Amino acid sequence: MAVVEVENVTRVYEEKGQAPSPALRGVSLLVEKGEFMALAGPSGSGKTTLLNLIGGLDAVTSGEVRIDGRALGKLSRPDLADLRRDRIGFVFQAYNLVPVLTAAENAAYVLELKGVPAGERRAKVKAVFERLGLGAFLDTRPMKMSGGQQQRVAVARAIVSEPAVVLADEPTANLDQATGAALMDLMRELNRERGITFIFSTHDPMVLSRADRVVRLVDGLVVAT
Amino acid sequence: MSGALLLGWRNIWRNRRRTFISMSAIGVGLLLVIFYSGLVGGLLGEAKSQLDDGGMGHVEVFARGFRGKHDVAAVMRDVAAWRAGLALPARSEVGARVLARGLATSARGNEAVQVFGVDWADEATLSAHLRQLRLGALPGSDDVHGVLVGEQLAERLGLKVGSKVRLMVQRADAEMGADLFRVRGVFHSIAPTIGQRQVYVSSAAAQELLGVPGAAHQLVIQLEDPAQADAVAASLKARLGDDYEVLTWAELLPVLKRMDAMMNGVIFGLATFVYLLVGLGVLNTMLMSVLERTREFGVLMALGTRPSRVMQVVLAESFWIATLSVVLGASLGALLSWQFSKTGFQLGTGGESMQLEGATLSTLVKTRFNPTDVFRAAGFVYAMALIVGLYPASRITRLQPAEALRRS
Ligand SMILES: Nc1ncnc2c1ncn2[C@@H]1O[C@H](COP(=O)(O)OP(=O)(O)OP(=O)(O)O)[C@@H](O)[C@H]1O
Ligand SMILES: [Mg+2]
Repeated sequence: MAVVEVENVTRVYEEKGQAPSPALRGVSLLVEKGEFMALAGPSGSGKTTLLNLIGGLDAVTSGEVRIDGRALGKLSRPDLADLRRDRIGFVFQAYNLVPVLTAAENAAYVLELKGVPAGERRAKVKAVFERLGLGAFLDTRPMKMSGGQQQRVAVARAIVSEPAVVLADEPTANLDQATGAALMDLMRELNRERGITFIFSTHDPMVLSRADRVVRLVDGLVVAT
Repeated sequence: MSGALLLGWRNIWRNRRRTFISMSAIGVGLLLVIFYSGLVGGLLGEAKSQLDDGGMGHVEVFARGFRGKHDVAAVMRDVAAWRAGLALPARSEVGARVLARGLATSARGNEAVQVFGVDWADEATLSAHLRQLRLGALPGSDDVHGVLVGEQLAERLGLKVGSKVRLMVQRADAEMGADLFRVRGVFHSIAPTIGQRQVYVSSAAAQELLGVPGAAHQLVIQLEDPAQADAVAASLKARLGDDYEVLTWAELLPVLKRMDAMMNGVIFGLATFVYLLVGLGVLNTMLMSVLERTREFGVLMALGTRPSRVMQVVLAESFWIATLSVVLGASLGALLSWQFSKTGFQLGTGGESMQLEGATLSTLVKTRFNPTDVFRAAGFVYAMALIVGLYPASRITRLQPAEALRRS
């Protein structure tokens, strides 16, 4: 069964004083468990919009998104939050760690929301940090870490609760080539080791070359799979 | 510490200056309200419990017909006999008085006076000024021609200890009665009118002067706890029957009762006003501080934080600011109240007392530190913090996470 089902989705942004602009104009997509998939396309083609809709961070104008067979449009805001907590991991372009929490506390945040006891949280985060080469940074605040380190913490945060799918919007855009490549390799390994599904958007040919499948968006439509 | 509280605690220290300013503003507001409550509580509490500045009772008994017309023939008989059986609360102070209006004459001139015929020992417990003799001493129990006068009267009539003064009154039989007295002491009262108008003689001398042997006009009862006045008055009414008039301080000095209600209103108004001003300032700061972190809240929401939990994190911040403010404001307020409960706080620059419709209020106010005032004021602060937190929080939870993430 597909982990992610996108069915004829449109998203029209309506802003006051402006003509409605359709960012997605009928997108359909199936993503199977364990895929390592890239969304490509020029700037403004709708990649971020699509990832947001898949992750339940925004509501479709028409069509439907299903995660594990559950239609997001039918969920209340708290239920949608619970679904993200339990099934979806996010990695953002700008790391987006919480500055007042240590690296380990950032990574453990979702576990805490799930009610996992402190000791268990710490053990899980520690194991993941070691796997990602962050063993020395458990109690470091994000501000004191490099971009590559922060992004690895963000990856740790996304995978530590073992979600069904990780959504990553241009995860390497703020990193230099070598760091970006290392991060992609790491995500690829996690994908193989743990069967975690990854969907990431990118402009970067280096990133595209590592994907199993590339879905190309142009002007809010899928052009080639 | 639970997650939301911990996050809130760390968040308030991200901008120390802002937190410090909010905290000081609320703290100072709280301090003002606590101190002011203590001051008013002291002013009125003192006035109510210590009626001896004016020599008044929490409960007073008269023969029916005396008050109003001041009919000296309307007397109570055998007071000494029945007052022992009144079953008053422990530590009550009681005294009977013979009352007359008249004229005091010396070689220097005359002055209108109120003559109080008293038992010296009883009266000294009832009237603060009889414990404040500037000159001389209380007359002895067999000294039927001894009189005490106030400083102001002594000044006007040129009286010293040992001077002679003639008191003239209208007797119960409507004839004029007069006698010669000798000044034994000069007292000081914080109320100038008392010092100018009241003269004290023994009850035997006053009875003789008025022609009312063995009688009295007024029984004054000062209670340890003024709140018992109503109960005591009710039991006295039942016991003494219709020939007597029993009045409580609230009836004798309705102004105190009214001021009590008014001051509570004033404190409430002041608190509302102070917290409204402070609240608006803090709301503004809180709104800025939350909205500039919109994106961070977007991240929390993306990670699966429910809207209710986002609300908790923001409220935790205002909770911590409120708590710090309460600790600061309440401890300073308590300290100030405590300090002025020892030294007293001088109201105005005028005399030692204010006269208010017959009530004598000392202008040296010893503040009363009342924990209830502090709890009430702190309750206000927490209520304000809740309101001030809800609005910024709702500005965030109203957004879709995607929208929140787009804000920089
Ligand atoms: N909140 C919004 N309000 C109005 N228009 C928006 C909003 N978000 C996106 N758009 C518009 O929708 C279209 C698709 O935007 P989107 O961000 O999804 O593209 P993208 O493929 O992620 O681009 P980029 O590669 O630059 O990140 C663009 O024309 C963009 O201007
Ligand atoms: Mg984008």
